[in-house]
Amino acid sequence: MAFNFEPKVMIESVPMLLKGAELTIYLTVGGLFFGFILGAFFGLLKLSRSWIIRKCAGVYIETIRGTPMLVQAMFLYFGLPMALGFRIPAMVAGIIIIAINSGAYIAEIVRGAVQSINPGQMEAGRTIGLNAMQTMRYIIWPQAFRRMVPPLGNQFIISLKDTSLLMIIGVGELLRTGDEIVAVNFRAFEVYLTCGLIYLCMTMSIAKCLRIIEKRLQMRGKA
Amino acid sequence: MISIKNLHKSFGHINVLKGINIEVAQGEVLVIVGPSGSGKSTVLRCINRLEVPTSGTVIVDGLDIMDKSTDINFVRSEATMVFQHFNLFPHMTVLDNITLGPIKVKKMSKAEAEKLGMGLLSKVGLADKAKNYPDQLSGGQKQRVAIARSLALRPKAILFDEPTSALDPELVGEVLEVMKNLATEGMTMVVVTHEMGFAQEVADRVIFIDEGVVQVDKPPKEFFINPEHPRLKDFLGKVIVHG
Ligand SMILES: Nc1ncnc2c1ncn2[C@@H]1O[C@H](COP(=O)(O)OP(=O)(O)OP(=O)(O)O)[C@@H](O)[C@H]1O
Ligand SMILES: [Mg+2]
Repeated sequence: MAFNFEPKVMIESVPMLLKGAELTIYLTVGGLFFGFILGAFFGLLKLSRSWIIRKCAGVYIETIRGTPMLVQAMFLYFGLPMALGFRIPAMVAGIIIIAINSGAYIAEIVRGAVQSINPGQMEAGRTIGLNAMQTMRYIIWPQAFRRMVPPLGNQFIISLKDTSLLMIIGVGELLRTGDEIVAVNFRAFEVYLTCGLIYLCMTMSIAKCLRIIEKRLQMRGKA
Repeated sequence: MISIKNLHKSFGHINVLKGINIEVAQGEVLVIVGPSGSGKSTVLRCINRLEVPTSGTVIVDGLDIMDKSTDINFVRSEATMVFQHFNLFPHMTVLDNITLGPIKVKKMSKAEAEKLGMGLLSKVGLADKAKNYPDQLSGGQKQRVAIARSLALRPKAILFDEPTSALDPELVGEVLEVMKNLATEGMTMVVVTHEMGFAQEVADRVIFIDEGVVQVDKPPKEFFINPEHPRLKDFLGKVIVHG
């Protein structure tokens, strides 16, 4: 059977795929929003003086990082309903999966960034009479946050790509949309190629934004 | 003003301080000298509890720092510290570095704090640097900002831990000058330093710490002119030779 490449199919599939891409963006942004909250929370717990608290945060981080996201998604969407008696909407499940996943990685980013700040900064904060919370908020965190920007941007790209795994639980994101088009027109080559190109556009845009933000941060007073 | 009685401090099983007794009266300038690793920084850091004493009592302006009911953040703002490496906040302008304490700790309004801050910057000769970031300053300027940051809390005492040791030699003078002015104005100061000239000129008393205890505690004249203590003699010989 001779293969003939049909660019027209690519162009025709774009409008539907862009609808899917829109969901991909919602999943990524929503997931990372909660992922950042989780990550900041567990990252700071990791820095606690109490080893029990550190251990608890460690269990979350290790569990999530040590199991495939696909397994987590299938467990949450297909497994848990057997115990709970109801199923959460696929989109919500998708956001939860991205959140807990990115949260585990962001926790390590947060911990590393906070630890990288010179201990002298904490002492200087304490010596002018700030308490530990105030020192964290006004002195340590703003400095640490700048150091988090590059790895967070990287995590943004990773999470965006990870959303494609959510097709398995039926979220109509970009790859799932492509899959559905292929089921009708059987043009796997053109459709998946177009999907790939759209992912690439999105990740490259993020990378570009990131470079601009990093430049801006560098211009305002640094260490 | 500051009263340290029988202060002990150990790190693990290393006993660094083995019964330190120091009294600092209001308005007094106390200089602490001693060999490297003898525990000078540790004494200073115990005064405002950046380091928790193992035993002994430390009273700062009538407040026992070991007492659970003492607001340690308040004590720290009353006996604040100037560090060897400045520890300015790099993400804030010079002026914001200075106003943070007054605004957050002393609950001053922003306008009031900035007025105070500008006044203090003029005092240390850096009014034109208010909007700069710390990385745009020389070491000597950074340390003067750090001193202004401490002064902004209107502290009862300032603790200096080798404030000129990280500076290029030509920048030492400007910082010592600011410190001399403070001393003249009656600020209570505890200064760890290797600047023997400063000690001779400004100190009311000089203390030599070695082997975890205060070995010598005398006015500068007697301290330098007639050092009877053999280890002090040895120490002074070394610092004076090496500048
Ligand atoms: N946090 C710490 N943990 C363990 N040991 C410490 C700690 N801080 C200080 N020490 C030890 O305590 C001793 C005294 O330290 P300290 O910094 O007070 O000396 P110093 O007289 O200030 O010395 P220098 O002139 O080098 O600044 C040193 O042997 C040091 O290694
Ligand atoms: Mg020291």
